[in-house]
Amino acid sequence: MDFKLPDLGEGITEGEVLKWMVKEGDQIKEDQPIVEVMTDKVNVQIPSPRSGRVSKVLVKEGDVAKVGQTILVIDDGAAGAPTATMATPPKQIPAQAAVQVQPAPPTAAQSVLATPATRKLARELGVDITRVRGSGPQGRVTDDDIRKSDLKAAPQEATVQEPHLTSGGPKEELVPLRGLRRTISDRMVKSLRTTAQVTHVDEADMTELVLLREAFRGSAEKRGVRLTYLPFIIKALVPALKEFPYVNSSLDEHAGNIALKKYYNIGIATDTAQGLVVPVVKDVDRKDIFELAGEITNLSEKARTGQLGLDDVRGSTFTITNVGAIGGLFATPIINLPEAAILGLHKIAKRPVVRDGKIEVRDTTYLSLSFDHRVMDGAYAARFTSRLIETIQDTKKLLAEVL
Amino acid sequence: MLEADVAIIGGGPGGYVCGIRSAQLGLRTVVIEADRLGGECLNYGCIPSKSLITVSKLVDKIKEAEKFGLRASGVSVDFIQLQKWKSEVVSKLVSGVEGLLRGYHTTVVSGVAEVVSKDRLVVATSQGNEEVLFKNLVIATGTRTSALPGLEFDGDLVISSKEGLELKGAPSRLVIVGGGAIGLEFASMFQKLGSQVTVVEIMDQLLPGSDPEVVRVVQRKLEARGAKVHLKSKVARIAKKSSEAEVEVETPEGRVVITADKVLVSVGRKPRTEKLNLAAIGVQTDPRGYVITNERMQTNVSGVYAIGDVRGPPLLAHKASKEGIVAAECIAGLPSAADWKVVPEAVFCDPEVASVGLTEAKAVEAGYKVKRSRFQFAALGRALSAGEPEGFVKVVSSEESGLVLGVQIVGPEASNLISEAALAIEMGATVDDIALTVHPHPTLPEAIMEASESAAGHPIHQLRT
Repeated sequence: MDFKLPDLGEGITEGEVLKWMVKEGDQIKEDQPIVEVMTDKVNVQIPSPRSGRVSKVLVKEGDVAKVGQTILVIDDGAAGAPTATMATPPKQIPAQAAVQVQPAPPTAAQSVLATPATRKLARELGVDITRVRGSGPQGRVTDDDIRKSDLKAAPQEATVQEPHLTSGGPKEELVPLRGLRRTISDRMVKSLRTTAQVTHVDEADMTELVLLREAFRGSAEKRGVRLTYLPFIIKALVPALKEFPYVNSSLDEHAGNIALKKYYNIGIATDTAQGLVVPVVKDVDRKDIFELAGEITNLSEKARTGQLGLDDVRGSTFTITNVGAIGGLFATPIINLPEAAILGLHKIAKRPVVRDGKIEVRDTTYLSLSFDHRVMDGAYAARFTSRLIETIQDTKKLLAEVL
Repeated sequence: MLEADVAIIGGGPGGYVCGIRSAQLGLRTVVIEADRLGGECLNYGCIPSKSLITVSKLVDKIKEAEKFGLRASGVSVDFIQLQKWKSEVVSKLVSGVEGLLRGYHTTVVSGVAEVVSKDRLVVATSQGNEEVLFKNLVIATGTRTSALPGLEFDGDLVISSKEGLELKGAPSRLVIVGGGAIGLEFASMFQKLGSQVTVVEIMDQLLPGSDPEVVRVVQRKLEARGAKVHLKSKVARIAKKSSEAEVEVETPEGRVVITADKVLVSVGRKPRTEKLNLAAIGVQTDPRGYVITNERMQTNVSGVYAIGDVRGPPLLAHKASKEGIVAAECIAGLPSAADWKVVPEAVFCDPEVASVGLTEAKAVEAGYKVKRSRFQFAALGRALSAGEPEGFVKVVSSEESGLVLGVQIVGPEASNLISEAALAIEMGATVDDIALTVHPHPTLPEAIMEASESAAGHPIHQLRT
């Protein structure tokens, strides 16, 4: 049987084959993991639907496969095979013959529904038109689709054996852009290129929050969770997001609308050895800080050990990135598409602050909110941030939220 | 010694176009031609044959003239004058190509080129050897006529299409071996000029690969006018006499012997690479000898390109020209590629046949749910008023999406009609798009609109099927 890359859900249309866990000739059992695929969100291991023998591996490690594309052929000796084998050979034979005669088969761009001028535009912009999802009737790819796409075509010197300009050599090490790194690279560029990002920075007095966390620490430990500032910030976010719904939204340019989300799933940008991943804490408005703290600990552990499942990384509506533990004043985070904003949390430090005309030493931090100016204006984003800071600074208000 | 950014071997419709485009892009360009600029197409193929075909059609029309109320008598063909006019047409076009190459400051070298290394070739010219140092090489040497074992060309009784275009009269009995595009063009043409024609084809239909319904119209017309067509047949033996030949043909019904004044062999072509010494630089060819390239016309050797017939079928001048442009642009560093969806083909037999995209059979094979629709020229005002009611337009489209997959035309001006269909396919048009486009009346392209309307389910000038 032909094993096709299954639907991975969430609008995921393709994945990079990271690692084959079987090779041609191997006997495999049903449900045995056979391949590790990196989608634009997470790595998944895909199990075999049948027992049998691997007769052909069709996609190389590092290549991108589309959902529905045959990536492996399993010889399962099924009785239904005769019709299948009769149907396949005529297709396979010409393909093999074509490979022999024509090492570079005609460009796949020919099979894409697009006008010659659009195909030319794709070549000029270096966009792999075969991977662009067309917005026109029947998936027709338009000039606009090409201009907005970030699906870079492979270098075009495919069959010509010319030395690369960057040849490595003793002073350079060439690291292939693969897996998570490539995904991050694609997504960051896409975010910057397709949105109008502005970063608004403000400062918050954390003194009361520092005390509040101290107060809760003991009961958290009793419940077996480590309580950081993050659950408090998440809880402080909820009333602000409710009051400023455009911060918790997604713009769909093709559909021409903005989806204001009435659920609050917060992505937590998490640093791992492989790179940045963003596990999602769901429905934060309905959980208390101890539940949040537990989930965050659990998710970041999964992230560090590469155990995140697709469900763990799907569906965030707003993202927080926290670099406070490492240092720095503030940064300009990049929005996690398709969201409309991202909040950067930074180091909490004792700083001199003027209060009631006197200089005092207080715990303060900077908050940086990058927002999509297409969706909201600067005043709106500033008001949102003020509202957030208000809650953070006011223990009474915060207490009402956290419990 | 000449130095070039691009050296192009072959000045045919691939090579000379590549030369012009290269020069336009600021590359120092050398075009090397062993025979005459314009190549096979301009000198020995498309152009001279169309000149003769035009006259043969005219003669044919005049013979029917009384039907139209036209009295003409004493009409005869002056072959000497006809050949002179044909040569003038060819010369005019060849000098046009020369003028263009000169005007764009390319260097044209006459002689046979041999590749010495990855950056050097030698041309044997009438004044001795000329060396060319090149950065990029484009192989555009085309194809040559294949001979059939036992039926070798002798330039007199057994001839190729090239000699066929130089004849000083119509042979009274003509045997054509090979019922492909060239064979059928000669069959229709010489039949009109007075020859008794026999076509011998080894496959089970004329124009192998074409839509059988289309081919039937052509074969019927040939046979109705007295030609004999032998399918699944081959020449077993030929006995040459002083001015005629006895051709023994093995047919499914047994052996027949045909006496012929000329035997024209048109059984295909093969790549012209033997004198190039491509082995010196290791350019890969396929088992048939065609040079292998990618869609940017690059061979396996860096800086070496191939375009046109020498890359393999379909062997078509217009395809070669487009590939020449792609090669030139790639050499100049532009992101060009041969990514057209279709290459239209035209055969100037009678009636003309033209085709683009998938035939019905190929579309089914490719897994489409196929919608076929036809419109007969017999129902079209302009075809009738032109006295050419034979044939039809056939539109092959996807039942599900309505996308036009292919169009086949047999009938008047099929060669001129097919470009609309080619554009439709390149633009990803549906049958609705064509049906909704206003076509002027009364014209032949209305047949394409009518066939598309039929595919869209609302034919006007035919009953719903």
